[in-house]
Amino acid sequence: MKCILNTGRSVPQGVSVEHKGSEEYRTAASVCFLNAVDMMLLGIENGERIRVSSPAGDVVLTARSAEGVKQGEIFVTTGPYANHIISSETHATGMPDFKSQYVDVHVTEERVMSVGELMEEIGGLRYVSQ
Amino acid sequence: MLVNDVVCPFCGCLCDDLELEVEADRVVRVLNGCSLAEATFMNDTRLPAPIRRTSTAWEKISYDEAIKETADILKDADRPLLYGWSSTHGDTQSVGVHIAELIGAVIDNTSTVCHGPSILAIQEVGHPGCTLGQVKNRADVIIYWGCNPIEAHPRHMSRYTTFATGFFVPDAQRERTIIVVDTRRNDSGGIADEFVQIEPGGDYAVLSALRALVRGKESVIPKKVAGISKEQLIRIAGICKNAKFGAIFFGLGLTMSRGKYKNVRNAIELTDELNRHTKFVISPMRGHGNVYGSNEVFTWMTGYPFAVDFARGIAFYNPGETTAVDILRRGECDAALIVASDPGANFPRVAAAHLAKIPTVLIDPHVNATTSLSRIHIPCTAAGIDAAGTAYRMDGVPIRLKKVIERGYPDDAEILKKIYDCLNGWMIP
Amino acid sequence: MTELLVKNACVIDPIQGINGEIMDIAIRDGRIVESVSDRAEVIDAQRCLTLPGGIDSHTHVCGTKVNFGRYMSPEDMRAGRTQRRGRMHVTSGYYVPTTFGNSYRYSAMGYTTLLEGAMAPLEARHTHEEFTATPHQDMLANTLFDGNWAVMDAVREKNIKKTAAIVGWTLNAIKGYAIKLTNPGGTEAWGWGEDLTSIHDQVPHFEVTPAEIITAMIQANELLKLPHSVHLHCNNLGKPGNYQTTLDTFELVPDLNPDRQTLYATHVQFHAYGGRTWRNICSKAEEITRSVNSKPQIVMDMGQIMFCRTMTMTADGPMEFNLHCLHHNKWSNHDVELETGSGIIPVTYSKKSAVNCIMWAIGLELALLTKSPWQCLLETDNPNGAPFVKYPEVIGLLMSKRYRDEECATLHPDTEGNTSLCALEREMDWHDIAVMTRAGQAKALGIINQGKGHLGTGAEADIAIYPIRTDSVDPAREYRKVVEGFQKTRYTIKRGRVVSQDGEIIVDGANATFWANAKIPEDIRVDNDPEFIRRFQEFYTVRMSNYPVQEIYLPRGRRVDTEAFT
Repeated sequence: MKCILNTGRSVPQGVSVEHKGSEEYRTAASVCFLNAVDMMLLGIENGERIRVSSPAGDVVLTARSAEGVKQGEIFVTTGPYANHIISSETHATGMPDFKSQYVDVHVTEERVMSVGELMEEIGGLRYVSQ
Repeated sequence: MLVNDVVCPFCGCLCDDLELEVEADRVVRVLNGCSLAEATFMNDTRLPAPIRRTSTAWEKISYDEAIKETADILKDADRPLLYGWSSTHGDTQSVGVHIAELIGAVIDNTSTVCHGPSILAIQEVGHPGCTLGQVKNRADVIIYWGCNPIEAHPRHMSRYTTFATGFFVPDAQRERTIIVVDTRRNDSGGIADEFVQIEPGGDYAVLSALRALVRGKESVIPKKVAGISKEQLIRIAGICKNAKFGAIFFGLGLTMSRGKYKNVRNAIELTDELNRHTKFVISPMRGHGNVYGSNEVFTWMTGYPFAVDFARGIAFYNPGETTAVDILRRGECDAALIVASDPGANFPRVAAAHLAKIPTVLIDPHVNATTSLSRIHIPCTAAGIDAAGTAYRMDGVPIRLKKVIERGYPDDAEILKKIYDCLNGWMIP
Repeated sequence: MTELLVKNACVIDPIQGINGEIMDIAIRDGRIVESVSDRAEVIDAQRCLTLPGGIDSHTHVCGTKVNFGRYMSPEDMRAGRTQRRGRMHVTSGYYVPTTFGNSYRYSAMGYTTLLEGAMAPLEARHTHEEFTATPHQDMLANTLFDGNWAVMDAVREKNIKKTAAIVGWTLNAIKGYAIKLTNPGGTEAWGWGEDLTSIHDQVPHFEVTPAEIITAMIQANELLKLPHSVHLHCNNLGKPGNYQTTLDTFELVPDLNPDRQTLYATHVQFHAYGGRTWRNICSKAEEITRSVNSKPQIVMDMGQIMFCRTMTMTADGPMEFNLHCLHHNKWSNHDVELETGSGIIPVTYSKKSAVNCIMWAIGLELALLTKSPWQCLLETDNPNGAPFVKYPEVIGLLMSKRYRDEECATLHPDTEGNTSLCALEREMDWHDIAVMTRAGQAKALGIINQGKGHLGTGAEADIAIYPIRTDSVDPAREYRKVVEGFQKTRYTIKRGRVVSQDGEIIVDGANATFWANAKIPEDIRVDNDPEFIRRFQEFYTVRMSNYPVQEIYLPRGRRVDTEAFT
């Protein structure tokens, strides 16, 4: 399914923003909100996973329906999950298309990666506190 | 011990009426704060000591070693990028600019992926604004456009707008009309007198339609503009023109969506137009606690609010070229110093990935996504918790952040001064 | 102990009554002394013109609105930029330079003390932060009270003591130096998008008039025994016909202080217009100067404009909006809760504009028609009339009728009929210029006994040595040499140390900030007044305890204590 990806802040993300290794943050940042009709079209229920892909990359997220989201649009909280699929192009403004990335949504059985795993996918190394 | 009138450093509201209960080196209770403030003070887990990445693991190192190695990395760099600066105080920002000037670096702050486009718009048409108390005491019409204060600035409405008692608006809830404009019906939209749901990417068209209506050009408006009926647009234009004092607050819904800075420009020009009928102001909802301070400090030191490139010796500014995401996307920088921010989480994949390819040093109190991408992470104080210093509220009001506890970490300004001294020793013949 | 001896200086020091004497100046530990040891470092001034360090008594260089001027103007930042060099940091900007740019260029021109013309108390911390980054000049801040709610309430109650107590507390809290009124009452009206049109209009809701505010603040100022007088930007700035408002305002002013003026009227050029519209605007400099010449209690400054592109910035928000409606360029506005307003727009003063030419002529007429140079000081309301780097040209114009005539020949033809400039023969001399650029300012600001503006024993050793030989230059004919000479000192000495030599800054600098501390009796202190506290906590958006500027923001704060209420 073709959609436009919108991103923004949320309280749960803000509360755990200084604890990006935490389960709480993973949950907050990796939820993808969809319109209920789109959920139905995809044939999924709350909590099932979707793979969202763009020319920049792809990422597995947990689907949840939300009233405020229009059909054809998905919403993911600001953070590393959303950024995994957002293009770095800024059209000479310095600002990427954080609120208007065109994406493809597919149903998947795969699990949601942790923030550490996401960072390792782009060349990083997780730090685990002792 | 109770500490009064504490300033919360988390978001651009910089609420300064918190009451904290402090026990030794911990905050145990937060009164008056929102949940973000509570988390800021109470769940403040830090990286215990500087760490360095080896090929497969992380090792602890001393501060001296970390500082020396950071200076080495910066000294060896041909095109260093210094990025972040918004979740710390003014002294740190000021030393950062001096380092950039010394080594010919590019220095950019987080407004680049936040209200950078608003700054570009202001540079085209200016900014009719005011301090938040002006809105609190006078405004009878409030517009939140492309922002979600309930989630991102939870006390904005209760301190400054919807629910705040003002001198000329004693019964705030009854006397103020709230308009929320967004592509998504969020919680903020839920409490609006008038919710305006725009099709994604339609902000520019809707702003243009409102400008036309304010100018009395009703006949040029089609039946629907970006999903909004002409009737609703006429109603909103009427509410604005009849306001005694109107205030528009806008967020990333304008700066990040199609049109970017042109959306903001259009919103400012609508405000300008409305001032020919009544009093109207407009303000960006700045995110990080002291992001506006980074713009202020950069400006008085270099002349530009963000994206300053010292490679030519002079201060050079060209957003789109000298902005952090663009420099990373092009793989242009060969070293990075990240201070008080998390581009690993907040930059698009390709830009973040470049940080892992080059020696990146992170100076930040907390472990974050950028830690994983760094060569070295040096922990420091958190401004407003265990360090004092200046922060600028979203409306430009400078407030002194307090030090409420001592946790034994060095101040990031101190760490940077040492790095500066190392570099200065090498640079001056 | 550090010692310095300036030999063979051609000194003009109006406060000491020295006019062109060749003498030596001895300096020890930053102050002027009778003599120094023979180990002292020696500078040979070679009979060049040597003056006390320049003082600007009205300039906009630091704080919220100045920085916003920079923020919104990348085009200006590109217009003036220098690399890091020696001790000098990178600078950007021409008409609103970065703090270092301001500081270096003022220093190169021999200026060592600046009064920031307008600081909103709520945003004072910002001004002080920028003061620290303006290292080569001692700084003072005019503090805005034009729309201060507590002040207007006290004025309405006709309670001068309370008015004074509010002013005293505020200056102490935010480390301000003097009272500034910008379009008094008008900035509050602008909170509703309105303005006042005469000094007898009522401020909406507050039921006071500008005349009442000005009168009460003058009395409060003298009750507090503040070193400077009330510093006023009159109502109706920049409007044709506004000279009547200015004259009416001057009539309000009693003569209350033997040591200095009772009212400092700033940038009077912008307040000296006749006519009714922009089409028939004309000069009323004669009327204004006739009033000032008969009132020793008034000192004004010129507010000279020069032909160039620059930025207007003032607390006078409504005026800026009106100007914006004329110019259609970018416009910024920033109202400050319970206190004041501000606005910023870029302008270009052009010789092709009759209005601009008349404005240019009025500034010069004011200076030339004011009998005593102590009563009309030289400035451009930097950067409103022109950036301060234009001062040497203003000096040249005042000293040379020929220069003025040459300029007049290039102006819009309507200039001559609407001004009297061409008929003025007066040419100012070196002493007049020394008064108008430092001695007069020191007296007006009340800082002579802080050791400013003169070279007497005990004074701060702030000295400017210009590459001008007064015995061999005829300013009337060789005005270009005068202009060049004032652009760049041979040496600028700040507190006994050479900071600038031939335009190059050679040390890091460490300025001081002067602020006024009036002792207020316990029983009328507003921080003991529950009603004042209640209203503060209720209507400001910062807590009263977070409002004062901590002393840490003034690394070299110089508190000026006054014996108020005595």
